[in-house]
Amino acid sequence: MMVLRRFEIHQPKDVAEACEMLAHYGEKGRLYAGGTELLLAMKHNLLRYDHLVDIKVVRGLDRIEPSDSKLVIGATVTHRAIEKSSVVRERIPVLAEMEARVANVRVRATGTLGGNLCFAEPHSDPAALLLALGARLQIQGKSASRTVAMNEFIVGPYETCLAPDEVLTAVEIPVPAPSARAAYLKFQIHERPTLGLALVLDTEDNGETIRSARAVVGSVCLTPSRSDKADALLVGPRSQVERQLGDAAEILADEADLADDLEGGADYKRHLIGVFLKRAFLKALSR
Amino acid sequence: MSQPRSEEFRVVNHSVPRRDGIAKVTGRALYVSDLTVPRMAFAKVLRSPHAHARIVSVDTAKAAAFPGVIAVLTGENVSGVNPYYGHAVKDHPLIAIERVRYAGEPVAAVIAEDERAAAEALGLIEVEYQELKPVLTPKEALAPGAPLLHERQFEAGALRGFEGEVTAGKGSNLCQAARVKWGDVEAAFARAATVVEGEYYFPMAYAYAMEPYVAIAEVSENGATIYSSAQHPFMVRHDLTTVLNLPLSQIRLVVPFVGGGYGSKSYTKIEPLVVACALKAGRPVKLQLSAEEAILTTRSDDALTWMRTAVDGQGRIIARQAKIYLNTGAYAENSPLVAEKAANRAVGPYRIPNVEIECYAVYTNTVPASSFRGFGCAQVTTAGEAQIDELAAKLGRDPLEFRLANAAEKGDSFFPKMRPFDGNLAEDLALAARALDWGKPLAKNHGRSIGCSGSDAGAYPLTSAAVRVHADGSVSVMTGSTELGQGSHTILAQIAAEELGVPFDRVRVVSSDTAITPYDRSTGASRTTTLMGRAVLEASREAIAQMRAMAAQLLSAKEEDVKPISGGVECGEARFTWAEILSRYFGLPDGDVLGRAYLRKTGDLAQLPVFWEVACTGVEISVDEETGSIRMEKLATVGDVGLAINPALAEGQDLGAAVMGMGIGLFEELIYDGPQLMNGNLLGYRVPRFSDLPREVKLQLVERRDGVGPYGAKGGGEASLNSMPVNIANGLFSATGVRVRRAPLTPEKVWRALKENKR
Amino acid sequence: MKIQFQLNGKPTEVEFEPQETLAEVLRDRLNLTGTKVSCEVQVCGACTVLVDGLPVSACTLLAYEARNRDVLTIEGLARPNGTLHPIQQAFIDEFAFQCGYCTPGMILASKALLDENPAPSEAEIKEYMDGNICRCTGYVPIIKAIQRAAKVMSGQ
Repeated sequence: MMVLRRFEIHQPKDVAEACEMLAHYGEKGRLYAGGTELLLAMKHNLLRYDHLVDIKVVRGLDRIEPSDSKLVIGATVTHRAIEKSSVVRERIPVLAEMEARVANVRVRATGTLGGNLCFAEPHSDPAALLLALGARLQIQGKSASRTVAMNEFIVGPYETCLAPDEVLTAVEIPVPAPSARAAYLKFQIHERPTLGLALVLDTEDNGETIRSARAVVGSVCLTPSRSDKADALLVGPRSQVERQLGDAAEILADEADLADDLEGGADYKRHLIGVFLKRAFLKALSR
Repeated sequence: MSQPRSEEFRVVNHSVPRRDGIAKVTGRALYVSDLTVPRMAFAKVLRSPHAHARIVSVDTAKAAAFPGVIAVLTGENVSGVNPYYGHAVKDHPLIAIERVRYAGEPVAAVIAEDERAAAEALGLIEVEYQELKPVLTPKEALAPGAPLLHERQFEAGALRGFEGEVTAGKGSNLCQAARVKWGDVEAAFARAATVVEGEYYFPMAYAYAMEPYVAIAEVSENGATIYSSAQHPFMVRHDLTTVLNLPLSQIRLVVPFVGGGYGSKSYTKIEPLVVACALKAGRPVKLQLSAEEAILTTRSDDALTWMRTAVDGQGRIIARQAKIYLNTGAYAENSPLVAEKAANRAVGPYRIPNVEIECYAVYTNTVPASSFRGFGCAQVTTAGEAQIDELAAKLGRDPLEFRLANAAEKGDSFFPKMRPFDGNLAEDLALAARALDWGKPLAKNHGRSIGCSGSDAGAYPLTSAAVRVHADGSVSVMTGSTELGQGSHTILAQIAAEELGVPFDRVRVVSSDTAITPYDRSTGASRTTTLMGRAVLEASREAIAQMRAMAAQLLSAKEEDVKPISGGVECGEARFTWAEILSRYFGLPDGDVLGRAYLRKTGDLAQLPVFWEVACTGVEISVDEETGSIRMEKLATVGDVGLAINPALAEGQDLGAAVMGMGIGLFEELIYDGPQLMNGNLLGYRVPRFSDLPREVKLQLVERRDGVGPYGAKGGGEASLNSMPVNIANGLFSATGVRVRRAPLTPEKVWRALKENKR
Repeated sequence: MKIQFQLNGKPTEVEFEPQETLAEVLRDRLNLTGTKVSCEVQVCGACTVLVDGLPVSACTLLAYEARNRDVLTIEGLARPNGTLHPIQQAFIDEFAFQCGYCTPGMILASKALLDENPAPSEAEIKEYMDGNICRCTGYVPIIKAIQRAAKVMSGQ
């Protein structure tokens, strides 16, 4: 059996104290939430910390708060809580659908949205969809707070923009307009997705015209990836966009910096992006 | 699923609930990982990062000084044992000595008061390596000038199980070669009307028995006791006699429930290492591997097979020739026998007058390969059954009808010197075909395939059993067969209950303790029902004979006047139960009668194989041409078990094996990138899940009572795996006209093949 | 550290070190060895136990997370008088296990499913149970067992 090396668990009373603890322990400490990724890496001795700061004990971070224009999901809300949330299902159904298919039922019961994003594992389903939805992340540090966009937050594989004393406290997700259509599809061979493809469209004329679009690919690349150029090709009359899907997929693939690995060759992944962009487009518009 | 059963039997041939049912659904079933012994310490293993290297030095000082550490074992300080073991070839050091031969090989073991201290201390061991050039494939390993893995010649293991001399260590990386030949292949190909030829690959598979290898060893002046997750405790015992230089009686292997085997727990694994740790520490030691370490312990032989098959103008198969290269990994393990079996099984269950098969097990700097469910058969059936379909396509014939025209028939001596064929493929294939709606039109992108295999199964027939009838009429069955999940505890109790006429609940099965239970060679090769089942039947009858004699003596009657009836005897008006006979005979309501049976290679067991393990499987698949994904639509299995002692258990074996084979056909593969294993964990090694299940599953058993086992039973459990990977490939061909000759047929591989074909 | 929690319906207090997983504490400190450990990467589900009714991987969840919560392991499923839970009985009746190593986790995952969805379709069973691996049975008997248990539990 694999065993975790010794560490201590700390229970901050609020976010400010969590920030102070993180600042105090520096490289020997790490924020701990669901632990589904972190503890695996620690079991394999890939990461080692003497101190874990349990952010779940801080009150108020496990809430989903709706407002007119956005949902604010606390960092320690579990995947399962998002999947089952009636407000999420009603206002951003694509988010609930994506969450219902993250990993397996056990990971969803313990893993948190904040933990998933902060670990920045390249095969994250939420990261890809949240980038497409234009989510912003609320961050609190020892002395200041800030809000950043998804693409500013995840800066590399297993790497975020968080300073050593900073804590992700919540994710703000704009509620798509009633005219919006969205889909998240993934292709999976092993335990983690080979490709995640998120597409959010704003439409008019009952889906016959696309006013704006955001397409994101995840898992095939080190961080979720999108392109203004690709999105531009996804705007216009539906029939025209359908003809341009192939070109948009090529641009997305160029942008994603695809590599050969166990999940497949770069050319296969490029091909999959084309297949799944088309499927996501049809799925989004079929709603 | 189950068909109406014969009224002849009371207990046997009924799907009685599993004997281990309550223990297993309540969490009370004990596996070695659940056991502790007093004063037990824990070991952890440091593994080589290099595939091939000389060990220059190992500094264990810091690890030894770590709090809680009792001792550190290395190749330099291993003492009190003969460190080389192997039932086939004694080439395997229990811990690397001077050299490492694969990435993941044990280099040191820390024994500590708890697992955490042992794990921490591993990080303090400093090893200096001098890297050597590794060879990773049979082709590289056999190339002129290739670095040698083993430079010295080895002693043969006492139970090597294969014919001929040991080749290992004779100046090349060839571990063992096997050859099957009859007729004149060259002449047959020269006059053939149609020939197909190709190269096929069967991947490195990991059995993923969900209980990883685990053992506890205790060594004292009274000998050694080892609790282990071993399939074949008696084989391990034999290996340990030379490791410890102790007589057989001094080595006791105890095997409780085993959490899956599928061949991967056949033969000796970590037991010698744990024994050496226990000696070093002077304490009982437990070593529990993780699944990731289990992957670094044993895998299947991957196989590259070149094969050609010829037919004459009438569509009769006239010749088959093959060269099979098994990637055996760093140590022989059971690969020499896998090589022999692969050569035999490459012929297939067909009448072929001219055959020449060569099979080479080749050492490489990779994880050692050994037995895997089906034992070489799946490897070569992947080639053989593909060629049957390729020939049918070339001849414009239906693959089913082409098989029927060439399949061995019952009683055919289709394989010289072996037992005549005891299956009936014509009937079995027809059953499988019907389950698949063979011949009916298929939906677009759907394909169908049917396949079969015949394995020379049962291993060597050396098996014994004891049946104790107690003074209250209850019964203990003493068996060396291990309960791996296949249901041996259930079916052996059924047989004893049937024979002795006692209730099933009154029979207890005591298994797999080499100090107590009589000898059984192994729990594998689908042999337990046939051989141990028959031993239990004979031992029960022997007990009955003794009790009949006792009754005759008590009644002052002639033995022939005492007639066995269900649960006792009658003699004229008098009727006695077993309990009454024993109580009267012994003068106390206690004591017991010991019935025994020894099976050996004689009489109807003289000719090998013990039986031909014959199975047909069929699939309907659908292909997503855009992604290359294959989905299972239908699965049909037909298992020829002679007589199902417990039909539900027999069907369970067929389904489990077929789904395992499906996994290899679709996605299971250990992947090396250079010397490093890239997917040595369950995140990267994909096994079948609920969502992979076919839409429709039809399991069929055929019971012709034509086996040498009890009541005409024959074994099952491996055969439904063998033709599944090739069914996927043949199904793809049926759906798309594209042939992929390398398993697994991952979406990417299928996509590439389809793309290639469109060009 | 020391925590209190409900274990199989009984208030329990246990002392352990912070890095210990729930599986370690259950198996090594509380002698509840019914919880099995296999893949150790949250893929196989052999170590599934229910925490506040939800399935978790005990091999990776810290025991610390059990504080003040309700933990159900396989040992707590049958009634104290030994009567099996309908899911356990259905697993026996349908031959839904062979080696039994995945079985405790498989049964507890089934319980979580049926508590949430008392009459799941075959597709729903496959989806919910997809994270529990069985290497022996080929799954079909497990699906049948869950369907059988669903009927018994709903009084059909």
